[in-house]
Amino acid sequence: MQRLLVLLLFAAPLAAQNPALREVARDPNEDIYIGKKEHIAAGEQLYSIACSGCHGPGGEGGRGPNLVIGPAAQNKKPTQIYSAIKIGVPGGDMPPFGSMSEEQLWQMTAYVSSLSRPAYEVDVPGDPEAGKALYHGKAGCSNCHMIRGEGGSLGPDLSNAGLQNYVLQLREGVLEPNKRITPGFDPVRVVTDSGETIEGVAKNYTNYSIQLLDRSGTLHLLDTGGLKEIVFLKETWMPANITDRFSDDEIQNILAFVSRQAARIPSADADTETADN
Amino acid sequence: MSGSAARRRLAVTSALIASVLAAFPAASQVKYEDILRGPGKDWLTYAGDYSAQRHSALTQINTGNVSSLVPKWVYHIEVGRRLSAIPLVHDGIMYVGNSNEVHALDAVSGRKIWHYRQEDVEGGSRANRGVGLLDDSVFFVTGDCYLVALHRKTGALLWNHQYADPARGYHCTVAPFAFKDRVVVGVSGGDSGARGFLTAHSAKTGEELWRLWTVPAKGEFGADTWGPKTLDWGGAATWMSGSYDPDLNTLYWGTGNPWPDFYGGDRPGDNLYSDSLIAVDGDSGEMKWYFQFTPHDVWDWDAQEFPVLLDLPYQGEDRKLVVQANRNGFYYVLDRVSGEFLHANPFIDQLTWASGVDKNGRPILVEGQAPQPGGVEVCPTVRGASNYMSPSFNPNTGLLYIIALEGCDIYTSSAREPVPMVGFAGTGGEKPPRHSNQFYLRALNPTTGERVWEYPMTGPTIMWAGTLSTEGGIVFFGDDDHHLVALEAKTGEHLWHFNVGQQLFTSPITYMVGDKQYVTLVSQTDVFTFGLFEPVKQVPVIKRTREK
Repeated sequence: MQRLLVLLLFAAPLAAQNPALREVARDPNEDIYIGKKEHIAAGEQLYSIACSGCHGPGGEGGRGPNLVIGPAAQNKKPTQIYSAIKIGVPGGDMPPFGSMSEEQLWQMTAYVSSLSRPAYEVDVPGDPEAGKALYHGKAGCSNCHMIRGEGGSLGPDLSNAGLQNYVLQLREGVLEPNKRITPGFDPVRVVTDSGETIEGVAKNYTNYSIQLLDRSGTLHLLDTGGLKEIVFLKETWMPANITDRFSDDEIQNILAFVSRQAARIPSADADTETADN
Repeated sequence: MSGSAARRRLAVTSALIASVLAAFPAASQVKYEDILRGPGKDWLTYAGDYSAQRHSALTQINTGNVSSLVPKWVYHIEVGRRLSAIPLVHDGIMYVGNSNEVHALDAVSGRKIWHYRQEDVEGGSRANRGVGLLDDSVFFVTGDCYLVALHRKTGALLWNHQYADPARGYHCTVAPFAFKDRVVVGVSGGDSGARGFLTAHSAKTGEELWRLWTVPAKGEFGADTWGPKTLDWGGAATWMSGSYDPDLNTLYWGTGNPWPDFYGGDRPGDNLYSDSLIAVDGDSGEMKWYFQFTPHDVWDWDAQEFPVLLDLPYQGEDRKLVVQANRNGFYYVLDRVSGEFLHANPFIDQLTWASGVDKNGRPILVEGQAPQPGGVEVCPTVRGASNYMSPSFNPNTGLLYIIALEGCDIYTSSAREPVPMVGFAGTGGEKPPRHSNQFYLRALNPTTGERVWEYPMTGPTIMWAGTLSTEGGIVFFGDDDHHLVALEAKTGEHLWHFNVGQQLFTSPITYMVGDKQYVTLVSQTDVFTFGLFEPVKQVPVIKRTREK
């Protein structure tokens, strides 16, 4: 577990006021480093040493800002990230890392850039085929999560998981499934006036009605006037103990598989042949 | 918890979940047979059923009580700008399409159950005319022509398939048409030259089963009705949903105008199969017959109002008929088995481009009515004497209800080299100065086209709403003053109205959940649902807790 968290490394803070951030010219190094699996992996190692103390494991921020979502991460060009790492934030807590080699600086840049890109675009390490076998097999993911029509419905559909999530979000969903609950999947138990208990996920609810998908897949469209009680459950049915059951590599393989799920193949990767002849 | 204990717990949990989530109850799937039965408590196709009669069997709301119809709920679609979808309802769930998205609602409370949105769609926002339903799937098309299947209870993506290429001028708006084991879709983009077609896809996988082009390829029958400049493009889009005769296994689909819309100099001939009704074998996709309403159209008069299938006596003989109030101003009656032309007559008073039709149904043109660079006044308007506003038919009154637009436009044209996907500036239709157009709901005798009664509207003629007929003896429709209106079906007498305060681009439906009937109309940005008045029951604040 600790090793997994260490793999989630985070970069130097990026302050909006840093003049270096205004440098937006494209650098030839972007083509060499950005989006390249091996450099991202090397960047992870560097950040585990240099950056995670301030930016926190998982990139959620700490003493330094969040590097996955929020103004320090979104819409930042690689050259802006590079400059912030190299020069630091004058007048702030972020130190300069200019003593590192150019390669190391760009590897860290590649890693930080990857944090705020959809998981599909990151080329997440791991064996997706092995992850697929786990997903549909002993890990039991498909019992609750559908991908292109295969699987259950008690959890969110993952057909587009790679484009809808950052790697951090996917990882958090696996390792800490009850930390954040996807809207429409709040686990709930209701008791009707006749004493029937129904347990499932609340697709929606108000004081007057609740739309509940139960664990057998039946949708209940209920008027709250016929209910005695609604209890929102503390935990989802997502297993909270996955690190006890699977190795780090196995979990990484599952993440590699899920991160490659896209409702549409992004145009840069698509076959150029058109559907209409 | 130890690792082994955790594994046991998960194994039990997984087994339990796997056993109970194996499948949704099959009984609540949307079966082909359910659609065949026609609109009862559910509303399962764009036009209510395969015959496209838009006549509901529901009677709870009727002429005796419709005056106490009140709003029950309103659902606002945040990104809705010009909602054009007719909602479908099945098993208490309403499905509403919008540009690149679908909303599934609790049809009693109007609360969202799920929402699916496709981001990063090429071409951005387009009109969407709604969804199709079959088995566990909800089908819709994105603006860039992906046919998408979603799970009806969760909105989970089942499959998607791009069936037309936006780089060839296509965009897509059609409500998918599901029957048997397949779903049929068409394309938009004919006004930019895109060559029309229909495709059928497996409802299970999206695999393309057949494709029928509505502009023939070089060497095929009908190719000589085009010039060489336009044949590779041509238009004849298929952007509206059709109808289907299960006994004949035949689809009936209207096609759009030829391209360029207002200049015919580069496309000499009739331009098959533009502005036509085509009859298509549902299994093979082969065209059985066609009937062209407006050969060599230069006024943009698509034949897209969905064809209504009627089994009625015609001149003393029981016939299988297909009828359409065409955008060109004539009402047509055809034999739907053979495609034989039986009858046509104007359903508008202002019609200048043709003096009538010959014995084959071909229009008899009036000289000087083709668009000119300096403009020429022609009736009906470029929007047509009717358009995609839904017609309906009540078997009890024997009347067909259509929306008619009385009006004229100044049509202009210019002889420019046609360039696909590039607009023809300076061509089109504009309302003449000081000229007033007017909408009517007209009740027609469906075999003679005779006007039995009409209901005039008073608004600015910006409206695309159609009609709904019910066994309760009511015709519901949307008018161009933003009202949902109820009329007595036999006489056209006003019974009820409600102002939704927004323009209307689509047609009403009705459905039943439990023991209550509802009527729904989608406005520009909202879904309005009505039911009979009843006092609201007090709802005590329910004990709602969250586990610590």
